[in-house]
Amino acid sequence: MIELTGFDKRFNPGSVNEVHALRGLDLSVAEGEFVTIIGTNGSGKSTLLNAVAGEFAPDLGRVSIAGRDVTQAQEHQRADLVARVFQNPFLGTVPGMSIAENLHLASLRGRPLRPRLGLDRARRQEFRARVQSLEMGLEDRLDNAIGSLSGGQRQALTLLMAVMNTPRVLLLDEHTAALDPKSAAQVLKLTSQFVAERGLTTLMVTHSMRQALELGNRTIMMHQGRVIEDIDQARKRRLTVEDLLDRFAELRRAEQLTDDLLEELRRAYV
Amino acid sequence: MELWVGAVVLGLLYALMTTGVYLTYRVYNFADITVDGSFTAGGAAAAALIVAGCHPALALLAALAVGAASGAATALIHTRFKINGLLSGILVMTGLYSVNLHLMGRSNIPLLQHPTLFSALDALNPGLPGAVWTALALGLALAVFWLLMAAFLKTDLGLAMRATGENPRMASANGRNVNWLIILGLALANGLVGVSGGLVAQYQGFADVTMGVGTIVVGLASVIIGESALRARSLTVQVLSVVLGSVIFRLMIALALYLGLNPIDLKLLTAVFVLLTLVLSQRMGKGRAGLPGLTRLLRPAWAWGLAAAILAGLGWWAAQPPGPQSGGQAASPVRPLIGVVQFTDNGVLDLTRQGLVQELRKLGHVDGQTCRLDLENAHGDQATLNLILDKFLKDGADLVVTISTPATQAGLKKITDRPLVFATVANPFLIQAGTSETEHRPNVTGTYGWAPMDQTLALVRRILPGPLKIGAIWDPSQANAEFNVANLRQAMAGQGDLSFHGATVAGTGEVQQATQSLLNQGVDVLVLPPDNIIYSAFDAVVSVARAGNRPVVVSDVELLSHGALAVLGYDYTSSGEQAARLVDRILRGENPRDIPFERYSRLSVGLNTKVAADLKLTLPPEVLAQATVLHPPTETAARTRPAPSPPPATAPAPAKRRLAVFLFADTPIILDALRGVQEELEQSGALRELGLEVSVRSAQGEMSLGQAIAQDLVRQRFDYIVSLSTIALQLAARFNHDIPQVFGAVTDPYLTGVAKSPDEHQPNITGVATFQPVEAVLRTAREIFPQAKRIGLAWNPGELSSEACTKKARELAPRYGFSLVEANVTSPAEVLEGVRGLLAKDIDLFFTSGDSTMLSAFDSVAKLLHQARVPYLSNSCTDVARGAFLAVGPDYYNVGRRTGALAIRLMRGESPQAVPIVDYVPETLFVNRDLAAEYKVSLPPAVVKRAANLGGGQ
Ligand SMILES: Nc1ncnc2c1ncn2[C@@H]1O[C@H](COP(=O)(O)OP(=O)(O)OP(=O)(O)O)[C@@H](O)[C@H]1O
Ligand SMILES: [Mg+2]
Repeated sequence: MIELTGFDKRFNPGSVNEVHALRGLDLSVAEGEFVTIIGTNGSGKSTLLNAVAGEFAPDLGRVSIAGRDVTQAQEHQRADLVARVFQNPFLGTVPGMSIAENLHLASLRGRPLRPRLGLDRARRQEFRARVQSLEMGLEDRLDNAIGSLSGGQRQALTLLMAVMNTPRVLLLDEHTAALDPKSAAQVLKLTSQFVAERGLTTLMVTHSMRQALELGNRTIMMHQGRVIEDIDQARKRRLTVEDLLDRFAELRRAEQLTDDLLEELRRAYV
Repeated sequence: MELWVGAVVLGLLYALMTTGVYLTYRVYNFADITVDGSFTAGGAAAAALIVAGCHPALALLAALAVGAASGAATALIHTRFKINGLLSGILVMTGLYSVNLHLMGRSNIPLLQHPTLFSALDALNPGLPGAVWTALALGLALAVFWLLMAAFLKTDLGLAMRATGENPRMASANGRNVNWLIILGLALANGLVGVSGGLVAQYQGFADVTMGVGTIVVGLASVIIGESALRARSLTVQVLSVVLGSVIFRLMIALALYLGLNPIDLKLLTAVFVLLTLVLSQRMGKGRAGLPGLTRLLRPAWAWGLAAAILAGLGWWAAQPPGPQSGGQAASPVRPLIGVVQFTDNGVLDLTRQGLVQELRKLGHVDGQTCRLDLENAHGDQATLNLILDKFLKDGADLVVTISTPATQAGLKKITDRPLVFATVANPFLIQAGTSETEHRPNVTGTYGWAPMDQTLALVRRILPGPLKIGAIWDPSQANAEFNVANLRQAMAGQGDLSFHGATVAGTGEVQQATQSLLNQGVDVLVLPPDNIIYSAFDAVVSVARAGNRPVVVSDVELLSHGALAVLGYDYTSSGEQAARLVDRILRGENPRDIPFERYSRLSVGLNTKVAADLKLTLPPEVLAQATVLHPPTETAARTRPAPSPPPATAPAPAKRRLAVFLFADTPIILDALRGVQEELEQSGALRELGLEVSVRSAQGEMSLGQAIAQDLVRQRFDYIVSLSTIALQLAARFNHDIPQVFGAVTDPYLTGVAKSPDEHQPNITGVATFQPVEAVLRTAREIFPQAKRIGLAWNPGELSSEACTKKARELAPRYGFSLVEANVTSPAEVLEGVRGLLAKDIDLFFTSGDSTMLSAFDSVAKLLHQARVPYLSNSCTDVARGAFLAVGPDYYNVGRRTGALAIRLMRGESPQAVPIVDYVPETLFVNRDLAAEYKVSLPPAVVKRAANLGGGQ
């Protein structure tokens, strides 16, 4: 379903701020796979999701989604295939518009815009039913501005909006990280439910090892812009959180070593 | 009634524009300044098409199109090239100025004779008062527009637009092409603004290239006022609030006028009001969650109460002197009310008004006794003009007098049922007041006349016989100006020995540059036909012209004392007087239909003898005899300043005497001079003997600081001032009219206007003049380079001292067997090009004399000359160390000593008036021996012996 080959991306090339965020990354995700992604800060997880979403084109390499080569397609040109939920609950919705309007806008994803009053009674009825399924009591507040809702409520709505048109790929970037534990659990539950119901191909970034292992059927670990571990369903069952933490510790040690080595070399030569 | 209804109509017309601003500012979060241009563009397109015979509704569509195109252009620049939105708007707005002029083909298109939407509307009037009918019809149209607009914002497209404005990332993630939506939104917004412009043009009966100025501010103010009046969550109400805001804004202005508020304060009031609304709604917004409903209801009421209080306060304050017609109930109905409106504050219009009022009085129409005069001034604002006319109608004026073309143009549109007398209109036929002096609108008559450019030209030829290059400057957006220039050119036609050089400007800011460009083209005289823009920047023209020794001739007597050599124009007092006589005839029962337009007749010819003397021109006696005004009033008034207060007495006063030494900048030269002054004071014993207290003030090279210091020295009443450098002299002399002042380190005091000759100087100022030793440079160059023929000289004609040196070099070069090749530079950016140009002309030597523009690029010039192996000659000794070949310059330390000595003479009791200016040039010679070796030049022993320093370049 998702095919990244030799994806390479540098930010601010040629400047002091140059960051080689993705280094010839190869990744192939089959239809219906639910991949959890872990990795150190700055390892390129969000960048990988942005790459799939189309926020930027690669310097080198290709991307295809659902068999369509979208390497040069801009974000809005592949929005019919991809839906996403950001970490920041403010990013996924338009605060000044009502719940119904936000949902309607999401329902238009992948369709051409027309100057017609698409948000009719039937539509509202449909949205009402969907919002009801969130079990947050929002169905009576369809005309309230989203800006008046809590972060958890917004994130749940964003999730609902993302899966509304059944996208081919769902991207979740630490979408529960900014929520309180209770809301986080609720949004996570909804996530599992939606993904299972519709068999969505999903990439989910998380900082929780437990989530990474418990959710989905594949886990990848990223480091310095590459995939360094690819753990399938069978192995996932055997791994524990401690195993993953050990792996991180190992990485950290390796980094430290190189730092020390550098320092020694510098002392020796300068 | 008329006043309020008129305001509502204006508000409704501008509501479309306000909605456009709402779209950009609120929906798109984009401060789009394009609207200033697109408003005019809409008006321009509509007017141009209507005149071409197009249906007014179709013309409105065109207004929509050009507006939309303007908005799309801004959005494209913003999205494609990632240029800041505000800047993109400014770029498009600026460009639109030219586009709009092209669209109209001139700066003003009158529509009076053409069908407009409003004339069509009038035809449908079922019998209501005109303004009420218009307001009703417009109100209905706007109501439809409101519902449509609100509905549009709720369509799928509208939703996507709103999302784009509020959260572009979300919009993009949901498959919306954000860039495209921005383009669409700005196009829509500016399209509405364009339609608004098209409507306003049709309503007011003309389009003008300046009609859009300030649109953005009015739009923002209206949006904010509307929001505070109707605090709305719902989109539908929000759009309504915008329309309402526009109407309230106009009503506020009407109220201000009604209260007799000076329209000049309106802008300030608007700014204060908007600020207040913003601050208040912010304060309130914070507590929003916790506020009970009642407070929320009261909130706008509070803001409104405050605003009303301020308005009323200001109104009361402004109404103090004349008193509004608030108590007008008692006014006897027999006394006719005459409404007089002038467009703006300018000398000509003021004279007209004065002439009018005085003559009316002579004819027995005395304000408050036999008639009521309501004198109003629109201060240059079109909308205010319309409101004033509405007010006249509301007050039931019996007769309206419009002074100036724009006021008359607006008056022709509004005043149709009572007499209108215009005054000081250049060409009433152009604005369709009539087709001839006798065939005109039945209720309209007045006085007119365009500047007699043929007679002006004749005067110029009498003063300056022989072939002439005549320069003229005008702003093509001023309809009158274009017309007057055309008249001038027509007058010149067929005179083969005259050539015309024109320069156009867009605004007062460009006048100086335009003048300079004409001078660079070598014009002999500037003849400036009437043009409000040029005349209001006349001082800029004069300063440039004077520096270039060129006379200026204008058509406005007021400008005579500002430095014009001659003026020939109508006496606008007589225009007012003639208009008063027309008013009188109408009040006595004549029908304006039967009163022909009158051309004003009395001419003024003014001559400025002082300017003539400065230019070394002799005014022929027959010209002098023709003059009705001379400036200065008497021939002997060469010295205009009063005699100074007697110099301090010799008797040693116990009080300390205070001396200020004023420097412009801390350059090596000036610091040398300062040292000289200080040591002279010290060593002569004057310091102790006179109990002198010395303060040194430096302006650090900053003009504004220099002005402040100069003013401060005068305010502090220093006993003596010593100024070092030319600019310090100029700054000090500008403010100091009585403190004894001695200057030093000045090249040519005679060019600064402080002195005419060593003995004739400003009575309290004398000093040391130190010409650059130009001759010594030439002489020494001849000694060192016996073969050299061509000397290149680069200089900035804008610098006074540079000009003096150049003149000297021109005069002396042939004497030493050199030919001078000159290059003019006017800015540091042009220096290298200028020098390259000289090098291309095969110069053997290069010379520049203390020109600060040249000095600003010294290093690059030296490098360029070094590459070409052309020796660099200069008048500044410090240049040799930096790579000049040879310099003969004044020794400024000794100049300083001499300046100090002069100051001491004054302190000992001599009157500065009696102390002549001293010419003192202590020459010092510097030669760069390294360069001499490199260029294989052998230095004659005599030169080596004379040289104070044989430095080397680095
Ligand atoms: N738009 C951008 N411009 C410049 N640098 C960027 C940009 N996006 C990401 N980077 C850089 O690329 C690197 C990878 O960032 P990324 O956000 O993908 O990390 P991450 O794995 O998501 O980290 P975290 O766990 O902190 O979210 C970082 O060094 C980041 O600073
Ligand atoms: Mg991240």
